[in-house]
Amino acid sequence: MIEILDPRLKRLHLQTGVMPAKPKLDQLPTYEVFLQVKEPRPFKHEGCVHATSLEMALVFAKEQYSRRGICSGIWVAATKDLIVTEYTDNATDVYDHFNSVGDCKGKEYSIFHMIKRGTQHSYAGIVNADSPENALGCAKSLIERKKPVLNVWLVETAAMLKTAEEDKAIWETTPEKLFREAIDYKTAEKLKSFKEKQ
Amino acid sequence: MYGGGYLFEKTNVSELENEDQEQLALFEARIERGEKIEAQDWMPALYRKQLIRMIEQHAHSEIIGALPEGTWITRAPGFKRKLGLMAKVQDEVGHGQLLYSAAETLGKSREAMIDDLINGRSKYSNIFNYPAYTWADSCFISWLVDAGAIVNQVANSKGSYAPYCRALERICIEEAFHLKFGHHAVTYLATGTPKQKQMMQEALNRWWAPMLQFFGPPDKESAHSEILMRWKVKILSNDDTRQQWLDMYVPKIWELGLTIPDENLRKNEATGKWEYTEPDWEEFVKVINGDGLCNKERLNVRKTAEKRGEWVRRAILSRASNKEYVTPLA
Repeated sequence: MIEILDPRLKRLHLQTGVMPAKPKLDQLPTYEVFLQVKEPRPFKHEGCVHATSLEMALVFAKEQYSRRGICSGIWVAATKDLIVTEYTDNATDVYDHFNSVGDCKGKEYSIFHMIKRGTQHSYAGIVNADSPENALGCAKSLIERKKPVLNVWLVETAAMLKTAEEDKAIWETTPEKLFREAIDYKTAEKLKSFKEKQ
Repeated sequence: MYGGGYLFEKTNVSELENEDQEQLALFEARIERGEKIEAQDWMPALYRKQLIRMIEQHAHSEIIGALPEGTWITRAPGFKRKLGLMAKVQDEVGHGQLLYSAAETLGKSREAMIDDLINGRSKYSNIFNYPAYTWADSCFISWLVDAGAIVNQVANSKGSYAPYCRALERICIEEAFHLKFGHHAVTYLATGTPKQKQMMQEALNRWWAPMLQFFGPPDKESAHSEILMRWKVKILSNDDTRQQWLDMYVPKIWELGLTIPDENLRKNEATGKWEYTEPDWEEFVKVINGDGLCNKERLNVRKTAEKRGEWVRRAILSRASNKEYVTPLA
């Protein structure tokens, strides 16, 4: 054990001893984040953030998933609002387990597909239906797919929060932040002149 | 930033006898075919337990690893270095969040993981129990500790658990900048004034042994990893990652005119392996069990952050429109 080196930490009078167990929800519920790198590529699932509302989730998602690299849009939805099918094996289309539905009217659902294990769920389209089960049946008939789908997530579109057109300004300065890029740290010249002097 | 060593509980393979043998065979066949396991798939309890342990320790390492570097942000030489280091430390904390989320998909809440960290029940990378005395120590971490973590993370991103692999792929992309930033900072010190060069050399002397320990004890002393390798939880052995790092970075350290503090360090051309003086493994065990230079300070800083943030979390929760926790999906 050594004395604290950072004067700012010294001034804090650090907490010691056993900390009580965190209460339930101390770390807040989770929201799933979908991100579009560039138009017109599909929105893809990136991961989750912990927040208490869609607005807070969007702010955290922007910071967590789009502070590096390019981005043209973010959608968030509470994890509890997503409906998830079973995973199937690679050759089997999960839609085989659902009957097609013809009468597709009602709430709008956003549909996300996974076509290979290990990859991310990707936005596949919207359907209207009167229940989540029927939304799967409608997606089966209405959403075109070239490969078997292993897993589907769906969420009522109204339960998502999406960045608006004018929000895109938040990413305008990202390319200027070169200090976050490997390319901005060149050492070849320095090394070369160092070696020449040796 | 995570190295390796001391990751797992002793693996008791007899636990597998209670598993559904048919499911277990399908699970193992899936991994054998090179397919990933997703969060909602069936998995043996032992796989779940060891993965939670590993990913959680990795997450803690990111959060605690931000401390010895973070302390140098305000004192970094020049505005550009401050910006770079601040962005790097922010990345590390972001990696912690990604990893906590990946571990959460296996059913352990973030509350429970943080409780275990701050009360000393969970480990993190041992190297962060050493102090960053000077700016050069911070540069060593940025370049060479990150380099060690990258060797490990690139390997683990080929593992079997999909949510962890996805988090690691993202992390590895971001780490490319850390590595260049660190190398740049070390290069400027090592090729700078005599005083700067001396400062860098002294940091290298301090960090060399903890760096070798970073990859974990020699393979002959951590023999319980066979099943973890078969399940692609662990991809490279401790010695493999250590050798890879030595192979990639020793020449780059020498190129800067720095002296590595080990007279026995050499590459055996016949075996293709690096030979070196073993670091003090008894000290490693002592430090990992809590008796290092900074263990208490690191945890106390986290405890203080938890305590000081408590009212904020309580306030936002009281107005929350959503108070329903469900396990994150992927």
